[in-house]
Amino acid sequence: MANEIIEGILEGLRLIFTFDPEVWGVIEVSFRVSLTSTFLAALVALPIGSFIGLRKFKGKKEVTNLINTFMGFPPVVMGLIVYLLLSRSGPFGAFGLLYSTSAMIIAQFLLAVPIIMGTAKAAIESVDPTLKETVLSLGANERQLWWELIKHSKKSIIAGFLVAFGQAISEVGAVMIVGGNIRWETRTFTTSIVLQTRMGEFGMAIALGVILIVIAFIVNYGLTRLQTRVD
Amino acid sequence: MSTRKPLKQLIIEHKTAVLLVLIIVAGGSIGTYFAIDYLNAQNPERITLATTTSTYDSGLLDYLLPKFTEQTGIQIKVLSVGTGTAIQYGKDGNADVILVHSRSREDNFVNASLGVDGIPYGIHRACIMFNDFIIVGHETNPADLQPGDNITTVMTKLRNAIDTGNMTYYSRGDDSGTHSKEKALWAEIGVDAEIRWQNQPNKYTETGQGMAATLLMTYEDVEAVHEGYTLVDRGTWLSFYENYISLNILAESIGGEDLLLNPYGAIPVNPILHPHVKYLSACRFVGFLTSPYGQSLINAYRKNNQILFHASFGICNHNCSCTTTNDEIAIWSPFQAEYAGLTV
Repeated sequence: MANEIIEGILEGLRLIFTFDPEVWGVIEVSFRVSLTSTFLAALVALPIGSFIGLRKFKGKKEVTNLINTFMGFPPVVMGLIVYLLLSRSGPFGAFGLLYSTSAMIIAQFLLAVPIIMGTAKAAIESVDPTLKETVLSLGANERQLWWELIKHSKKSIIAGFLVAFGQAISEVGAVMIVGGNIRWETRTFTTSIVLQTRMGEFGMAIALGVILIVIAFIVNYGLTRLQTRVD
Repeated sequence: MSTRKPLKQLIIEHKTAVLLVLIIVAGGSIGTYFAIDYLNAQNPERITLATTTSTYDSGLLDYLLPKFTEQTGIQIKVLSVGTGTAIQYGKDGNADVILVHSRSREDNFVNASLGVDGIPYGIHRACIMFNDFIIVGHETNPADLQPGDNITTVMTKLRNAIDTGNMTYYSRGDDSGTHSKEKALWAEIGVDAEIRWQNQPNKYTETGQGMAATLLMTYEDVEAVHEGYTLVDRGTWLSFYENYISLNILAESIGGEDLLLNPYGAIPVNPILHPHVKYLSACRFVGFLTSPYGQSLINAYRKNNQILFHASFGICNHNCSCTTTNDEIAIWSPFQAEYAGLTV
């Protein structure tokens, strides 16, 4: 087994540096889907989440509970829901989006929205209340206050974004169901590893796993650098 | 620093504009994805094939499909699932053509009275190829299967060994073609495995996974008390047995017993039920598979120097518990014409 792991790691390095088209295709699909869905989710979830964190309103507790529940929504159930919606015999079947990267983006977008929303809301709420008072006493309106609080809690917000991205790129159930693991098209790191393992190609599976971990490390390192620089 | 500061200033001064640009860029990108995927779904030159894990995991399709694409320009998306799922995809219109192995369910698929309002899910079935099923297990062979055993003896020995707790049978348990065949084999000796060994996974394990994954689980079960056996199609077995060195063929078809034969059929999905399916392209694909060119490609495919699938269109009446009628031959011959004269 130890041999297989070492061979797998070497195989992984070889595949990356010889620019194996299939491996790079898998990398490309994984990143395109995860980044797009997380980015879109941030666009929707950040304003709403921070707004919920800023305002006090009736039913806020219930909304919070709802968001927290959906933060842990089982991805494979989301895959099932999106499958049923996009299936040819489902309500949005006419678009023919099932088994495409669009379907994967939709599923991961729906999974990422509550995560980013929840962390943004918590980040805004955890800002020192005296800062709020200071900003308001300087004559800021609500929009300016909102902007100040977002700037102040950008670290936590970026962390939320990272969590959502990490979930998206390592998720397997939903993308398998709605993407179909089609070679050259909707095959990601995770679905590819499932396939290679079941085909007994452990070298290739380990190789992809290693590449996934290394790339995740690089992205996280870069984002952490960015995070420390903005202070 | 001198260049960064004005930019930051610019962003702060034009927050709304920046936000707007971001939204437009994001909306544009997602819109483009959706548009591309939508257009691809309409493109008659891109069809979806729902098939079994055995045809895909054995590498046959990766070998055949590029040759089809080269000839016709039609690209094929492959969904590698079990026969049951593939048939369901066909019924729902999520696939344009299916390639599966469960003759009775294929017949139901093209049977008008079992379709929707008298319209069958698929119109024409074509017999493509066949191989056979074998039963594999560990060398110690606690069920004591012997090479000359016929299938009834084999199943009886397996049942007894399971009952006494000497072995574990690994079932696909996923409604696949192999799973149907396994149920049919148990039925031969009057056993309903799912009921007899219900909730006893150390006797009868339902893996719920593909053929190769199930083989892997059978192989990993090396405990002395209960050892793994499973039913596998020869195609998958020949592609993988190098990975499962401690498994052996313990039972196979003797003297051409029909029960262990495994014919594969292809059926385009009916465009009357699902107007969006690319019927013509699907028929061209079936034409390719049934043409002399496609058939000789199937016969030429080797893994570990062994033939995995035997082409059977038009000749299967004799040797693979399957039938091709003259009507079927007449239906598919026009679609075979474009591959005339091609050789392997």
